[in-house]
Amino acid sequence: MNSLIKLELTRALRNRKFLFFSVIYPSVLFLIIAGNADSTTKVPGSALTLPTYMMVSMASFGALTAVLMGNSERIAKEREGGWVRQLRLTTLPGRGYVLAKTASAAVVSLPSIVIVFAVAAAVKDVRLDAWQWLALTGAIWAGSLVFAALGVALGYLASGDAVRPITMITYFGLSMLGGLWMPTTTFPGWLQDIAEWLPTHAYAALGQAIEQSRAPHVQDLAVLVVSFVLFAGGAAWLYRKDTLKA
Amino acid sequence: MTTTASVVAFDQVSKAYDAVRAVDGLTLALRPGETVALLGPNGAGKSTTLDLLLGLKKPDSGTVRLFGTSPRDAIVAGRVGAMLQSGGLMDEVTVAELVRLACDLHPKPYRPSEVLSRAGIEQIADRKVNKLSGGQAQRVRFALATAGDSDLIVLDEPTTGMDVTTRQAFWATMREQADQGRTVLFATHYLEEADAVADRVLVLHRGRLLADGTAAEIKAKAGARRISFDLADTVDEAALRGLPFLTSLTVSGPTVRIQSTDADATVHALYGLGVYPRNLEVAGLGLEQAFVAITTAEEAKSK
Repeated sequence: MNSLIKLELTRALRNRKFLFFSVIYPSVLFLIIAGNADSTTKVPGSALTLPTYMMVSMASFGALTAVLMGNSERIAKEREGGWVRQLRLTTLPGRGYVLAKTASAAVVSLPSIVIVFAVAAAVKDVRLDAWQWLALTGAIWAGSLVFAALGVALGYLASGDAVRPITMITYFGLSMLGGLWMPTTTFPGWLQDIAEWLPTHAYAALGQAIEQSRAPHVQDLAVLVVSFVLFAGGAAWLYRKDTLKA
Repeated sequence: MTTTASVVAFDQVSKAYDAVRAVDGLTLALRPGETVALLGPNGAGKSTTLDLLLGLKKPDSGTVRLFGTSPRDAIVAGRVGAMLQSGGLMDEVTVAELVRLACDLHPKPYRPSEVLSRAGIEQIADRKVNKLSGGQAQRVRFALATAGDSDLIVLDEPTTGMDVTTRQAFWATMREQADQGRTVLFATHYLEEADAVADRVLVLHRGRLLADGTAAEIKAKAGARRISFDLADTVDEAALRGLPFLTSLTVSGPTVRIQSTDADATVHALYGLGVYPRNLEVAGLGLEQAFVAITTAEEAKSK
Protein backbone atom coordinates (compact mmCIF):
# COMPACT_ATOMS: atom_id res chain seq x y z
CA MET A 1 0.00 0.00 0.00
CA ASN A 2 2.94 2.33 0.66
CA SER A 3 3.95 1.98 -2.95
CA LEU A 4 0.48 3.07 -4.05
CA ILE A 5 0.61 6.11 -1.75
CA LYS A 6 4.03 6.95 -3.17
CA LEU A 7 2.76 6.69 -6.73
CA GLU A 8 -0.40 8.68 -5.99
CA LEU A 9 1.80 11.36 -4.49
CA THR A 10 4.21 11.42 -7.45
CA ARG A 11 1.21 11.87 -9.66
CA ALA A 12 -0.31 14.66 -7.56
CA LEU A 13 2.99 16.53 -7.51
CA ARG A 14 3.23 16.19 -11.29
CA ASN A 15 -0.19 17.71 -11.84
CA ARG A 16 0.55 21.44 -12.03
CA LYS A 17 -3.05 22.54 -12.25
CA PHE A 18 -3.96 20.61 -9.13
CA LEU A 19 -0.90 21.89 -7.28
CA PHE A 20 -1.63 25.48 -8.26
CA PHE A 21 -5.22 25.34 -7.07
CA SER A 22 -4.52 23.56 -3.81
CA VAL A 23 -1.13 25.01 -2.84
CA ILE A 24 -0.68 28.45 -4.43
CA TYR A 25 -4.24 29.65 -5.03
CA PRO A 26 -5.31 29.89 -1.33
CA SER A 27 -2.33 32.17 -0.60
CA VAL A 28 -3.09 34.33 -3.62
CA LEU A 29 -6.72 34.58 -2.57
CA PHE A 30 -5.60 35.50 0.96
CA LEU A 31 -3.51 38.39 -0.40
CA ILE A 32 -6.40 39.61 -2.56
CA ILE A 33 -8.92 39.55 0.29
CA ALA A 34 -6.68 40.68 3.15
CA GLY A 35 -4.31 42.76 1.04
CA ASN A 36 -5.81 46.16 1.70
CA ALA A 37 -7.03 45.50 5.21
CA ASP A 38 -5.04 47.19 7.93
CA SER A 39 -3.84 45.02 10.76
CA THR A 40 -5.90 46.60 13.51
CA THR A 41 -9.51 46.61 12.29
CA LYS A 42 -11.47 43.76 13.83
CA VAL A 43 -13.79 41.54 11.84
CA PRO A 44 -17.36 42.43 12.88
CA GLY A 45 -18.58 40.01 15.52
CA SER A 46 -15.10 38.64 16.15
CA ALA A 47 -12.09 39.59 18.27
CA LEU A 48 -9.74 38.92 15.35
CA THR A 49 -8.29 41.25 12.73
CA LEU A 50 -9.18 40.57 9.12
CA PRO A 51 -5.75 39.15 8.14
CA THR A 52 -5.69 36.83 11.17
CA TYR A 53 -9.26 35.77 10.52
CA MET A 54 -8.75 35.21 6.79
CA MET A 55 -5.49 33.33 7.33
CA VAL A 56 -7.35 30.48 9.01
CA SER A 57 -10.14 30.65 6.45
CA MET A 58 -7.74 30.39 3.52
CA ALA A 59 -5.61 27.67 5.12
CA SER A 60 -8.82 25.72 5.67
CA PHE A 61 -9.88 26.47 2.11
CA GLY A 62 -6.55 25.22 0.74
CA ALA A 63 -6.75 22.00 2.71
CA LEU A 64 -10.38 21.57 1.61
CA THR A 65 -9.36 22.01 -2.04
CA ALA A 66 -6.55 19.46 -1.79
CA VAL A 67 -8.59 16.71 -0.18
CA LEU A 68 -11.95 17.26 -1.86
CA MET A 69 -10.67 17.79 -5.41
CA GLY A 70 -7.97 15.19 -4.99
CA ASN A 71 -10.48 12.51 -4.14
CA SER A 72 -13.87 12.96 -5.75
CA GLU A 73 -13.18 13.46 -9.42
CA ARG A 74 -10.32 10.99 -9.62
CA ILE A 75 -12.16 8.25 -7.80
CA ALA A 76 -15.16 8.67 -10.10
CA LYS A 77 -12.92 8.61 -13.16
CA GLU A 78 -10.84 5.65 -12.08
CA ARG A 79 -13.89 3.73 -10.99
CA GLU A 80 -15.39 4.13 -14.45
CA GLY A 81 -12.13 3.55 -16.26
CA GLY A 82 -11.72 0.21 -14.51
CA TRP A 83 -8.53 0.98 -12.58
CA VAL A 84 -10.34 0.28 -9.31
CA ARG A 85 -11.33 -3.14 -10.69
CA GLN A 86 -7.77 -3.86 -11.72
CA LEU A 87 -6.55 -2.97 -8.23
CA ARG A 88 -9.05 -5.42 -6.77
CA LEU A 89 -7.08 -8.16 -8.51
CA THR A 90 -4.02 -7.34 -6.42
CA THR A 91 -3.21 -8.05 -2.79
CA LEU A 92 -4.17 -4.47 -1.91
CA PRO A 93 -6.99 -4.61 0.65
CA GLY A 94 -10.31 -3.17 -0.54
CA ARG A 95 -10.00 0.02 1.47
CA GLY A 96 -6.37 0.47 0.48
CA TYR A 97 -7.26 2.44 -2.63
CA VAL A 98 -9.33 4.98 -0.74
CA LEU A 99 -6.77 5.23 2.07
CA ALA A 100 -3.92 5.78 -0.39
CA LYS A 101 -5.88 8.52 -2.14
CA THR A 102 -6.68 10.24 1.15
CA ALA A 103 -3.14 9.91 2.45
CA SER A 104 -1.63 11.44 -0.68
CA ALA A 105 -4.20 14.27 -0.62
CA ALA A 106 -3.27 14.92 3.00
CA VAL A 107 0.39 15.22 2.06
CA VAL A 108 -0.50 17.88 -0.53
CA SER A 109 -2.80 19.73 1.87
CA LEU A 110 -0.03 20.28 4.44
CA PRO A 111 2.05 22.67 2.28
CA SER A 112 -1.08 24.55 1.28
CA ILE A 113 -1.73 25.25 4.98
CA VAL A 114 1.87 26.15 5.80
CA ILE A 115 2.26 28.45 2.79
CA VAL A 116 -0.83 30.49 3.74
CA PHE A 117 0.62 30.84 7.26
CA ALA A 118 4.01 31.90 5.92
CA VAL A 119 2.48 34.49 3.58
CA ALA A 120 0.24 35.85 6.35
CA ALA A 121 3.14 36.16 8.77
CA ALA A 122 5.53 37.68 6.26
CA VAL A 123 3.21 40.04 4.36
CA LYS A 124 0.45 40.86 6.83
CA ASP A 125 2.44 40.60 10.07
CA VAL A 126 0.20 38.02 11.67
CA ARG A 127 1.81 37.11 14.99
CA LEU A 128 0.85 34.13 17.14
CA ASP A 129 2.53 32.06 19.85
CA ALA A 130 4.49 29.01 18.79
CA TRP A 131 1.92 26.64 20.30
CA GLN A 132 -0.81 28.41 18.35
CA TRP A 133 0.96 27.92 15.01
CA LEU A 134 1.44 24.23 15.79
CA ALA A 135 -2.10 23.73 17.07
CA LEU A 136 -3.51 25.54 14.02
CA THR A 137 -1.55 23.38 11.61
CA GLY A 138 -2.60 20.24 13.45
CA ALA A 139 -6.26 21.20 13.75
CA ILE A 140 -6.67 22.29 10.13
CA TRP A 141 -4.79 19.28 8.89
CA ALA A 142 -6.77 16.82 11.00
CA GLY A 143 -10.03 18.61 10.23
CA SER A 144 -9.43 18.15 6.50
CA LEU A 145 -10.13 14.44 7.03
CA VAL A 146 -13.82 15.31 7.27
CA PHE A 147 -13.72 16.66 3.72
CA ALA A 148 -11.48 13.87 2.46
CA ALA A 149 -14.29 11.51 3.49
CA LEU A 150 -16.77 13.74 1.66
CA GLY A 151 -14.58 13.62 -1.44
CA VAL A 152 -14.53 9.82 -1.34
CA ALA A 153 -18.30 9.72 -0.91
CA LEU A 154 -18.81 12.04 -3.91
CA GLY A 155 -16.39 9.95 -5.98
CA TYR A 156 -18.49 6.86 -5.37
CA LEU A 157 -21.81 8.69 -5.63
CA ALA A 158 -21.49 10.49 -8.93
CA SER A 159 -20.08 9.34 -12.21
CA GLY A 160 -19.30 10.55 -15.70
CA ASP A 161 -20.22 14.11 -16.50
CA ALA A 162 -22.10 14.55 -13.25
CA VAL A 163 -19.14 14.33 -10.91
CA ARG A 164 -17.51 17.65 -11.81
CA PRO A 165 -20.59 19.88 -11.37
CA ILE A 166 -21.59 18.06 -8.19
CA THR A 167 -18.09 18.45 -6.76
CA MET A 168 -17.92 22.10 -7.79
CA ILE A 169 -21.30 22.98 -6.30
CA THR A 170 -20.41 21.21 -3.06
CA TYR A 171 -16.96 22.79 -3.00
CA PHE A 172 -17.98 26.37 -3.73
CA GLY A 173 -21.18 26.08 -1.70
CA LEU A 174 -19.36 24.85 1.37
CA SER A 175 -16.51 27.35 0.94
CA MET A 176 -18.70 30.39 0.45
CA LEU A 177 -21.60 29.63 2.78
CA GLY A 178 -19.22 28.31 5.43
CA GLY A 179 -17.51 31.70 5.47
CA LEU A 180 -14.13 30.65 4.11
CA TRP A 181 -14.09 33.49 1.58
CA MET A 182 -15.68 36.18 3.73
CA PRO A 183 -16.75 36.27 7.37
CA THR A 184 -20.28 34.91 7.81
CA THR A 185 -21.02 37.92 10.01
CA THR A 186 -21.39 39.90 6.78
CA PHE A 187 -24.23 37.57 5.69
CA PRO A 188 -27.92 38.40 6.23
CA GLY A 189 -29.28 36.92 9.46
CA TRP A 190 -31.16 33.97 7.92
CA LEU A 191 -28.07 32.92 5.98
CA GLN A 192 -25.91 33.16 9.10
CA ASP A 193 -28.29 30.72 10.79
CA ILE A 194 -27.70 28.22 8.00
CA ALA A 195 -23.95 28.83 7.74
CA GLU A 196 -23.49 28.13 11.42
CA TRP A 197 -24.35 24.46 10.83
CA LEU A 198 -22.03 23.86 7.88
CA PRO A 199 -18.93 21.74 8.51
CA THR A 200 -16.74 24.31 6.75
CA HIS A 201 -17.89 26.99 9.18
CA ALA A 202 -17.13 24.75 12.14
CA TYR A 203 -13.79 23.89 10.54
CA ALA A 204 -12.68 27.52 10.29
CA ALA A 205 -14.16 28.32 13.70
CA LEU A 206 -11.90 25.68 15.20
CA GLY A 207 -8.83 27.52 13.92
CA GLN A 208 -10.18 30.92 14.96
CA ALA A 209 -10.72 29.61 18.50
CA ILE A 210 -7.08 28.61 18.64
CA GLU A 211 -6.06 32.07 17.43
CA GLN A 212 -7.99 33.57 20.34
CA SER A 213 -6.53 31.05 22.80
CA ARG A 214 -9.91 29.83 23.81
CA ALA A 215 -11.63 26.44 23.79
CA PRO A 216 -13.61 25.67 20.62
CA HIS A 217 -17.40 25.80 20.79
CA VAL A 218 -19.04 22.49 21.55
CA GLN A 219 -21.39 23.05 18.63
CA ASP A 220 -18.50 23.37 16.16
CA LEU A 221 -16.85 20.20 17.43
CA ALA A 222 -20.17 18.38 17.28
CA VAL A 223 -20.84 19.55 13.70
CA LEU A 224 -17.39 18.32 12.62
CA VAL A 225 -17.74 14.94 14.34
CA VAL A 226 -21.26 14.36 13.01
CA SER A 227 -20.20 15.44 9.49
CA PHE A 228 -17.25 13.07 9.58
CA VAL A 229 -19.43 10.16 10.69
CA LEU A 230 -22.01 10.96 7.99
CA PHE A 231 -19.47 11.40 5.18
CA ALA A 232 -17.32 8.41 6.14
CA GLY A 233 -20.41 6.25 6.67
CA GLY A 234 -21.82 7.37 3.33
CA ALA A 235 -18.49 6.72 1.61
CA ALA A 236 -18.27 3.23 3.12
CA TRP A 237 -21.83 2.42 2.11
CA LEU A 238 -21.36 3.70 -1.47
CA TYR A 239 -18.05 1.90 -1.71
CA ARG A 240 -19.67 -1.41 -0.76
CA LYS A 241 -22.50 -0.85 -3.21
CA ASP A 242 -20.03 -0.13 -5.98
CA THR A 243 -17.98 -3.22 -5.15
CA LEU A 244 -21.02 -5.48 -5.37
CA LYS A 245 -22.05 -3.93 -8.68
CA ALA A 246 -18.67 -3.92 -10.37
CA MET B 1 -7.67 -30.47 3.02
CA THR B 2 -9.31 -31.16 -0.30
CA THR B 3 -7.62 -33.57 -2.64
CA THR B 4 -8.96 -31.99 -5.83
CA ALA B 5 -6.23 -30.73 -8.10
CA SER B 6 -8.50 -28.23 -9.81
CA VAL B 7 -7.05 -24.81 -10.44
CA VAL B 8 -10.52 -23.42 -11.06
CA ALA B 9 -13.75 -25.11 -10.03
CA PHE B 10 -17.22 -23.76 -10.85
CA ASP B 11 -20.08 -25.68 -9.32
CA GLN B 12 -23.57 -24.89 -10.63
CA VAL B 13 -22.77 -21.16 -10.81
CA SER B 14 -25.49 -18.75 -11.89
CA LYS B 15 -25.57 -14.98 -12.19
CA ALA B 16 -28.43 -12.89 -13.52
CA TYR B 17 -28.83 -9.18 -14.26
CA ASP B 18 -32.46 -8.29 -13.89
CA ALA B 19 -34.16 -10.84 -16.16
CA VAL B 20 -31.07 -11.81 -18.16
CA ARG B 21 -29.21 -14.92 -17.09
CA ALA B 22 -25.63 -14.00 -17.88
CA VAL B 23 -24.27 -17.25 -16.46
CA ASP B 24 -26.63 -20.17 -16.12
CA GLY B 25 -25.74 -23.22 -14.05
CA LEU B 26 -22.10 -23.31 -15.11
CA THR B 27 -20.01 -26.24 -13.89
CA LEU B 28 -16.41 -26.59 -15.01
CA ALA B 29 -12.95 -27.48 -13.76
CA LEU B 30 -9.55 -26.40 -15.04
CA ARG B 31 -6.54 -28.63 -14.46
CA PRO B 32 -3.02 -27.38 -13.76
CA GLY B 33 -0.95 -26.53 -16.82
CA GLU B 34 -3.81 -26.28 -19.30
CA THR B 35 -4.17 -23.44 -21.76
CA VAL B 36 -7.89 -22.93 -22.07
CA ALA B 37 -9.86 -20.68 -24.40
CA LEU B 38 -13.24 -19.43 -23.32
CA LEU B 39 -14.97 -18.93 -26.62
CA GLY B 40 -18.25 -17.23 -27.31
CA PRO B 41 -19.87 -14.34 -29.18
CA ASN B 42 -20.44 -10.99 -27.49
CA GLY B 43 -23.01 -11.40 -24.77
CA ALA B 44 -22.30 -15.10 -24.26
CA GLY B 45 -21.33 -14.49 -20.65
CA LYS B 46 -17.54 -14.64 -21.01
CA SER B 47 -16.76 -11.47 -19.07
CA THR B 48 -19.26 -12.33 -16.35
CA THR B 49 -17.70 -15.79 -16.05
CA LEU B 50 -14.25 -14.25 -15.61
CA ASP B 51 -15.58 -11.67 -13.12
CA LEU B 52 -17.09 -14.49 -11.07
CA LEU B 53 -13.87 -16.46 -11.34
CA LEU B 54 -11.84 -13.52 -10.04
CA GLY B 55 -14.30 -12.69 -7.28
CA LEU B 56 -15.19 -9.31 -8.79
CA LYS B 57 -18.79 -10.47 -8.81
CA LYS B 58 -20.59 -12.79 -6.42
CA PRO B 59 -22.65 -15.62 -7.90
CA ASP B 60 -26.40 -15.67 -7.20
CA SER B 61 -26.05 -19.39 -6.57
CA GLY B 62 -23.34 -22.03 -6.78
CA THR B 63 -19.69 -21.82 -5.73
CA VAL B 64 -16.46 -20.68 -7.33
CA ARG B 65 -13.18 -22.02 -5.95
CA LEU B 66 -9.63 -21.26 -7.02
CA PHE B 67 -6.98 -23.67 -5.75
CA GLY B 68 -9.54 -24.91 -3.23
CA THR B 69 -10.05 -21.45 -1.68
CA SER B 70 -12.10 -18.36 -2.42
CA PRO B 71 -11.02 -16.19 -5.38
CA ARG B 72 -9.98 -13.40 -3.01
CA ASP B 73 -7.78 -15.69 -0.91
CA ALA B 74 -6.14 -17.06 -4.06
CA ILE B 75 -5.40 -13.50 -5.23
CA VAL B 76 -3.99 -12.48 -1.84
CA ALA B 77 -1.76 -15.57 -1.94
CA GLY B 78 -0.39 -14.31 -5.27
CA ARG B 79 -1.59 -17.33 -7.24
CA VAL B 80 -3.61 -15.38 -9.83
CA GLY B 81 -2.59 -12.77 -12.37
CA ALA B 82 -5.34 -11.22 -14.43
CA MET B 83 -5.85 -8.87 -17.31
CA LEU B 84 -9.33 -7.46 -17.65
CA GLN B 85 -10.90 -6.23 -20.83
CA SER B 86 -12.24 -3.30 -18.86
CA GLY B 87 -9.09 -3.01 -16.75
CA GLY B 88 -8.30 0.67 -16.60
CA LEU B 89 -4.84 1.98 -15.96
CA MET B 90 -3.70 4.74 -13.66
CA ASP B 91 -3.34 8.02 -15.58
CA GLU B 92 -0.38 10.40 -15.54
CA VAL B 93 2.19 7.86 -14.39
CA THR B 94 4.76 6.17 -16.59
CA VAL B 95 4.58 2.57 -17.76
CA ALA B 96 7.63 1.72 -15.64
CA GLU B 97 6.09 3.25 -12.51
CA LEU B 98 2.88 1.32 -13.00
CA VAL B 99 4.73 -1.96 -13.55
CA ARG B 100 6.81 -1.31 -10.42
CA LEU B 101 3.60 -0.82 -8.46
CA ALA B 102 2.24 -4.15 -9.75
CA CYS B 103 5.49 -5.87 -8.73
CA ASP B 104 5.35 -4.24 -5.27
CA LEU B 105 1.81 -5.47 -4.77
CA HIS B 106 2.59 -9.08 -5.76
CA PRO B 107 3.65 -11.53 -3.00
CA LYS B 108 6.01 -13.37 -5.37
CA PRO B 109 7.15 -10.52 -7.62
CA TYR B 110 9.53 -10.55 -10.58
CA ARG B 111 11.93 -7.69 -11.12
CA PRO B 112 10.20 -4.79 -12.93
CA SER B 113 12.85 -4.82 -15.68
CA GLU B 114 12.11 -8.49 -16.31
CA VAL B 115 8.37 -7.86 -16.50
CA LEU B 116 8.85 -4.95 -18.91
CA SER B 117 11.04 -6.93 -21.26
CA ARG B 118 8.79 -10.00 -21.20
CA ALA B 119 5.80 -7.89 -22.17
CA GLY B 120 7.93 -6.17 -24.85
CA ILE B 121 7.38 -2.68 -23.49
CA GLU B 122 10.89 -1.58 -22.48
CA GLN B 123 10.91 0.99 -25.28
CA ILE B 124 7.80 2.67 -23.93
CA ALA B 125 8.74 2.34 -20.24
CA ASP B 126 9.10 6.10 -19.78
CA ARG B 127 5.94 6.98 -21.63
CA LYS B 128 2.87 8.20 -19.76
CA VAL B 129 0.16 5.57 -19.51
CA ASN B 130 -2.51 7.88 -20.95
CA LYS B 131 -0.43 8.44 -24.11
CA LEU B 132 -0.43 4.80 -25.24
CA SER B 133 -2.09 3.23 -28.27
CA GLY B 134 -4.70 0.53 -27.73
CA GLY B 135 -2.26 -2.27 -28.46
CA GLN B 136 0.43 -0.79 -26.20
CA ALA B 137 -2.07 -0.42 -23.37
CA GLN B 138 -2.98 -4.09 -23.80
CA ARG B 139 0.69 -5.04 -23.40
CA VAL B 140 0.91 -2.94 -20.24
CA ARG B 141 -2.16 -4.76 -18.90
CA PHE B 142 -0.44 -8.01 -19.74
CA ALA B 143 2.64 -6.84 -17.83
CA LEU B 144 0.44 -6.12 -14.79
CA ALA B 145 -1.03 -9.63 -15.05
CA THR B 146 2.44 -11.19 -15.13
CA ALA B 147 4.19 -9.04 -12.52
CA GLY B 148 4.76 -12.05 -10.29
CA ASP B 149 5.04 -15.81 -10.27
CA SER B 150 1.31 -16.63 -10.41
CA ASP B 151 -0.01 -20.14 -11.06
CA LEU B 152 -3.05 -19.03 -13.02
CA ILE B 153 -3.19 -16.28 -15.62
CA VAL B 154 -6.58 -15.00 -16.69
CA LEU B 155 -6.92 -12.81 -19.78
CA ASP B 156 -10.12 -11.25 -21.07
CA GLU B 157 -9.94 -10.64 -24.84
CA PRO B 158 -6.23 -9.87 -24.58
CA THR B 159 -5.53 -9.07 -28.23
CA THR B 160 -8.24 -6.44 -28.70
CA GLY B 161 -6.69 -3.41 -30.37
CA MET B 162 -3.47 -5.21 -31.38
CA ASP B 163 -2.26 -5.37 -34.98
CA VAL B 164 -1.31 -8.70 -36.54
CA THR B 165 2.40 -8.54 -35.68
CA THR B 166 1.80 -7.54 -32.08
CA ARG B 167 -0.84 -10.22 -31.82
CA GLN B 168 1.60 -12.92 -32.91
CA ALA B 169 4.30 -11.68 -30.55
CA PHE B 170 1.74 -11.61 -27.78
CA TRP B 171 0.72 -15.23 -28.26
CA ALA B 172 4.36 -16.29 -28.40
CA THR B 173 4.82 -14.69 -24.96
CA MET B 174 1.66 -16.39 -23.76
CA ARG B 175 2.93 -19.78 -24.87
CA GLU B 176 6.12 -19.23 -22.86
CA GLN B 177 3.96 -18.62 -19.81
CA ALA B 178 2.08 -21.85 -20.46
CA ASP B 179 5.30 -23.79 -21.07
CA GLN B 180 6.46 -22.86 -17.58
CA GLY B 181 3.60 -24.97 -16.27
CA ARG B 182 1.11 -22.19 -15.64
CA THR B 183 -2.58 -22.54 -16.23
CA VAL B 184 -3.75 -19.96 -18.73
CA LEU B 185 -7.39 -19.08 -19.30
CA PHE B 186 -8.32 -16.54 -21.94
CA ALA B 187 -11.60 -15.31 -23.33
CA THR B 188 -11.88 -14.61 -27.02
CA HIS B 189 -14.40 -14.43 -29.80
CA TYR B 190 -11.87 -15.44 -32.43
CA LEU B 191 -12.04 -19.13 -33.27
CA GLU B 192 -8.58 -18.87 -34.91
CA GLU B 193 -6.97 -17.69 -31.67
CA ALA B 194 -8.51 -20.52 -29.72
CA ASP B 195 -7.42 -22.89 -32.46
CA ALA B 196 -3.82 -21.70 -32.52
CA VAL B 197 -3.13 -21.37 -28.81
CA ALA B 198 -5.46 -23.42 -26.63
CA ASP B 199 -5.22 -27.06 -25.56
CA ARG B 200 -8.83 -26.94 -24.64
CA VAL B 201 -11.75 -24.83 -25.77
CA LEU B 202 -14.85 -24.07 -23.74
CA VAL B 203 -17.73 -22.81 -25.84
CA LEU B 204 -20.06 -20.51 -23.98
CA HIS B 205 -23.44 -19.48 -25.31
CA ARG B 206 -26.11 -17.62 -23.36
CA GLY B 207 -24.30 -18.35 -20.13
CA ARG B 208 -24.17 -22.09 -20.64
CA LEU B 209 -21.31 -24.39 -21.54
CA LEU B 210 -22.14 -25.78 -24.98
CA ALA B 211 -18.99 -27.63 -25.78
CA ASP B 212 -15.77 -28.57 -24.06
CA GLY B 213 -12.96 -30.14 -26.06
CA THR B 214 -9.94 -29.52 -28.26
CA ALA B 215 -10.22 -26.92 -31.00
CA ALA B 216 -10.32 -29.68 -33.61
CA GLU B 217 -13.22 -31.36 -31.82
CA ILE B 218 -15.15 -28.09 -31.62
CA LYS B 219 -14.68 -27.36 -35.29
CA ALA B 220 -15.68 -30.88 -36.28
CA LYS B 221 -18.75 -30.51 -34.11
CA ALA B 222 -19.65 -27.23 -35.76
CA GLY B 223 -19.28 -28.51 -39.33
CA ALA B 224 -16.16 -27.05 -40.81
CA ARG B 225 -17.03 -25.35 -44.13
CA ARG B 226 -19.90 -23.78 -45.89
CA ILE B 227 -20.47 -24.16 -49.61
CA SER B 228 -22.84 -22.08 -51.70
CA PHE B 229 -23.68 -22.07 -55.41
CA ASP B 230 -26.48 -21.39 -57.90
CA LEU B 231 -28.08 -24.02 -60.11
CA ALA B 232 -29.63 -23.03 -63.44
CA ASP B 233 -31.74 -26.19 -63.83
CA THR B 234 -34.40 -27.34 -61.45
CA VAL B 235 -32.82 -28.30 -58.17
CA ASP B 236 -32.99 -31.97 -57.29
CA GLU B 237 -32.99 -31.71 -53.51
CA ALA B 238 -33.01 -35.42 -52.89
CA ALA B 239 -29.83 -35.87 -54.92
CA LEU B 240 -28.13 -32.99 -53.11
CA ARG B 241 -29.10 -34.45 -49.76
CA GLY B 242 -27.21 -37.57 -50.71
CA LEU B 243 -23.90 -35.69 -50.91
CA PRO B 244 -21.20 -36.97 -48.54
CA PHE B 245 -20.14 -35.11 -45.32
CA LEU B 246 -23.22 -32.91 -45.48
CA THR B 247 -24.39 -31.42 -42.17
CA SER B 248 -27.06 -29.05 -43.46
CA LEU B 249 -28.74 -28.04 -46.71
CA THR B 250 -30.92 -25.06 -47.56
CA VAL B 251 -32.36 -24.21 -50.97
CA SER B 252 -33.77 -20.78 -51.75
CA GLY B 253 -34.69 -20.33 -55.41
CA PRO B 254 -31.68 -21.25 -57.50
CA THR B 255 -29.27 -20.78 -54.56
CA VAL B 256 -28.09 -23.79 -52.59
CA ARG B 257 -26.28 -23.49 -49.27
CA ILE B 258 -24.51 -26.46 -47.75
CA GLN B 259 -22.49 -27.06 -44.61
CA SER B 260 -19.96 -29.84 -44.81
CA THR B 261 -17.33 -31.36 -42.58
CA ASP B 262 -15.22 -32.17 -45.66
CA ALA B 263 -15.78 -29.52 -48.32
CA ASP B 264 -13.36 -31.09 -50.85
CA ALA B 265 -15.22 -34.39 -50.88
CA THR B 266 -18.62 -32.70 -51.00
CA VAL B 267 -17.69 -30.49 -53.97
CA HIS B 268 -16.13 -33.43 -55.79
CA ALA B 269 -19.32 -35.43 -55.34
CA LEU B 270 -21.40 -32.41 -56.43
CA TYR B 271 -19.75 -32.43 -59.87
CA GLY B 272 -20.32 -36.18 -59.88
CA LEU B 273 -24.07 -35.50 -59.89
CA GLY B 274 -23.70 -34.09 -63.39
CA VAL B 275 -24.89 -30.58 -62.45
CA TYR B 276 -23.10 -27.35 -63.31
CA PRO B 277 -22.87 -25.16 -60.19
CA ARG B 278 -22.32 -21.44 -60.84
CA ASN B 279 -20.82 -18.84 -58.44
CA LEU B 280 -19.37 -21.62 -56.32
CA GLU B 281 -18.00 -20.40 -52.98
CA VAL B 282 -16.35 -22.40 -50.24
CA ALA B 283 -15.65 -20.63 -46.96
CA GLY B 284 -14.78 -21.40 -43.40
CA LEU B 285 -17.69 -21.44 -41.06
CA GLY B 286 -17.79 -18.20 -39.06
CA LEU B 287 -17.91 -18.54 -35.33
CA GLU B 288 -21.43 -17.18 -35.31
CA GLN B 289 -22.55 -20.00 -37.61
CA ALA B 290 -20.49 -22.50 -35.68
CA PHE B 291 -22.49 -21.52 -32.63
CA VAL B 292 -25.74 -21.88 -34.47
CA ALA B 293 -24.63 -25.32 -35.63
CA ILE B 294 -23.61 -26.40 -32.13
CA THR B 295 -26.69 -24.88 -30.50
CA THR B 296 -29.01 -26.59 -32.96
CA ALA B 297 -27.28 -29.91 -32.41
CA GLU B 298 -27.43 -29.50 -28.62
CA GLU B 299 -31.10 -28.59 -28.67
CA ALA B 300 -31.92 -31.54 -30.94
CA LYS B 301 -30.04 -33.83 -28.54
CA SER B 302 -31.91 -32.61 -25.47
CA LYS B 303 -35.30 -33.30 -27.10
